[in-house]
Amino acid sequence: MSDHSRDLSGAGRRNFLKGVTLTGAAALTPAVVAQTPPPKNPARVVPLPNLAVETLPPPADPSNQTSSGGDFMVDVLKTLDIDYLAMNCASSFRGLHEAVINYAKNVKPEILTCTHEEIAVAMGQGYAKIEGKPMAMICHGTVGLQHASMAMYNAWCDRVPVYVMIGNIIEADKRAPGVEWVHSAIDPAALVRDFVKWDDQPASLQHFAESAVRAYKVAMTPPMGPVLLSLDAELQENPIPDRERLRIPKFAKVTPPVGDPGALAEAAKMLAAAQNPVLICDRLARTPAGMARLVELAETLQCAVVDQGGRMNFPSRHPLNQTFRRAAVVGEADVILAIEMNDLYGAVNSFSDRIVRATRAIFKPDAKIITLGSRDLYLKSNYQDFGRYAEADLAIAGDGEASLPALTEQIKRLVNAGRKSAFEARGKKLAEAHLATRERAKSDATIGWDASPITTARMCAEIYSQIKDEDWSLVGNGINIAWPRRLWNMDKPYRWNGVSGGAGIGYNAPASAGAALANKRHGRLSVTIQGDGDLMFAPGTLWTAAHHHIPILYVLLNNRAYHQELMYMQAMAARHGRSVENSHIGITITDPNIDYATVAKGFGVYAEGPITDPKNLGPALKRAVAVVKRGEPALVDVVTDPR
Amino acid sequence: MNGFRRRLAVALLTLGASNAVWSQNVPAGDAVNGKRVYLVAGCYTCHGRAGQGGAMNYPAPALAQTQLPVEALKAFVRAGPNDMPAYVESQLSDKDVADIHAFLRSLPGRLPAKNIPLLNQ
Repeated sequence: MSDHSRDLSGAGRRNFLKGVTLTGAAALTPAVVAQTPPPKNPARVVPLPNLAVETLPPPADPSNQTSSGGDFMVDVLKTLDIDYLAMNCASSFRGLHEAVINYAKNVKPEILTCTHEEIAVAMGQGYAKIEGKPMAMICHGTVGLQHASMAMYNAWCDRVPVYVMIGNIIEADKRAPGVEWVHSAIDPAALVRDFVKWDDQPASLQHFAESAVRAYKVAMTPPMGPVLLSLDAELQENPIPDRERLRIPKFAKVTPPVGDPGALAEAAKMLAAAQNPVLICDRLARTPAGMARLVELAETLQCAVVDQGGRMNFPSRHPLNQTFRRAAVVGEADVILAIEMNDLYGAVNSFSDRIVRATRAIFKPDAKIITLGSRDLYLKSNYQDFGRYAEADLAIAGDGEASLPALTEQIKRLVNAGRKSAFEARGKKLAEAHLATRERAKSDATIGWDASPITTARMCAEIYSQIKDEDWSLVGNGINIAWPRRLWNMDKPYRWNGVSGGAGIGYNAPASAGAALANKRHGRLSVTIQGDGDLMFAPGTLWTAAHHHIPILYVLLNNRAYHQELMYMQAMAARHGRSVENSHIGITITDPNIDYATVAKGFGVYAEGPITDPKNLGPALKRAVAVVKRGEPALVDVVTDPR
Repeated sequence: MNGFRRRLAVALLTLGASNAVWSQNVPAGDAVNGKRVYLVAGCYTCHGRAGQGGAMNYPAPALAQTQLPVEALKAFVRAGPNDMPAYVESQLSDKDVADIHAFLRSLPGRLPAKNIPLLNQ
């Protein structure tokens, strides 16, 4: 196609249209003009349609084509086994959009219609953690990417592969006047470059093929993260000039890096010789194998495990799970192995939020700390998500999940009968402590059992009662309340899908929907504990769930506030010696209370609530679970005590 | 030892720091006013309306049927650990704290978990 194919204001066409307009006006209206007095207020006159301009054929430039760059892009995406393309439609990627729906027949990828770009990205984050691979999303390179950026930051902090594409019109002389200019950028990825692993703006279809495969490879290599491709509109829309010369590169998944054998051997010696070793982990389990590997290591050592919950790392009812005894076991530890930790410093220090902000180590001064993880292999400077520097005695660069088998084997070789007996005694004590912790959790949950607003413990016990006999998956926990891990038997790798990463509100609703979409294929029942404040950032998620028949139970933890901020505001007022009674201003979501069941119904989602009496909660959940098992979303609005 | 711990230790030592002493040393606070203050001062936001406890960045302990003596509760209120706001006398008087203590002591507290099927599944 010629360079002028997008040139709507080219001289030839402009003059042609101008000529048509003048000729038409002269031919059709002189008598009317002569007989009609001039209007008193010309500015209010609505012009008649210029029929000649609107009905004449277009100028003689090419108007049809038999292939498009978008078709080729679809071919590339198919080789990457991308199942879904989440989007809020936009003209800068109309070429690829049309290719997906007509050339690919809306299959691999299938379009997910989202009402906000943040929803599209967050769905991909939740989906990837369940499915183990990214879906794609696409948006405008300017305004759409600005909407998407917060969700991309969450994915970055959560180390999740999210495959983002944006539309752009690179060549200035190809942009239509007006909005195409404000929707174009020289370097649109600059906006998010601090929190994507890699980005590119391909200049040709061959360039696209290579960068698309590279982007996928980069995203999927630990430490995983978001990637971005900026797609020129003409590249998507125009015919493919030389299809036979284009080649789609093979994709070979990168084997995750395993820690150095010598370093792992040293770590094994330290752990095997320790009196009280502790394993502490956060984003360890990348795949279903991760949990089994950690269990094997823990059982080999019969040592305490503290699961920070970034992934489903360790069964909640395993006798060695000491998550809710973190301070006690870290305080007694002589060797700590920290695996794929994002905030090791925070895990082994306590922090006092006072005028003079202070930290205090909760581990013994002579305790040895070993770190194992891939996080140090890829960091960026601006955003400070890497946390405070934590000292280590032995730092091993390597993917945690991939490195565990070698570490466990090394330890097994070092354990003689004497040590094994000592390990078993240690494990027995830990099992007793674990059991006591569970009994304590049950006892704690009884306080306020029949209270209204409903306690979060009662709410979680009621949820578990309805799902425990299903193949369930907790795909979100908006404010990360501890009750599911304290009360539920979380025994499979998909029982929990981790947190947002960046603590950016607006994650939970769409990420849960994305995870539920992945679970749907496996026949699992997805449930999420949804904060009310988070839902109001991206309520359109409910429509997407209804539209695409995503089976998920949203249990709304409705404490009618951005509650953590309420606690912070009280602390500020207390510090300043001023009234704590005004702390709700700007924080609570009341007056009027939001009727979330009505909101959800408006989006086409089955909903009940607000439920304030705990006796009514179980039956409501039961009805909602039945809806979800039929393949549709449902929401139950539960008015709860704050935490 | 940080300031809070020092003050708490002094409070406990003053009281003799035994459970027997604590249980006999329940002050004659006004539980009705204590409930009002507990809600107005926002204690419930972390510790729950039923005194069931909760969490911010750190766990907020359950307070229903507290075994803390009122002086120890006061020490927490004046210089709480970690996230807890430190209330001064003008915000929460000693009498208010005593009333809150009476309210917390009046709460039903724990039930036998074994009698609740939902907690044994």
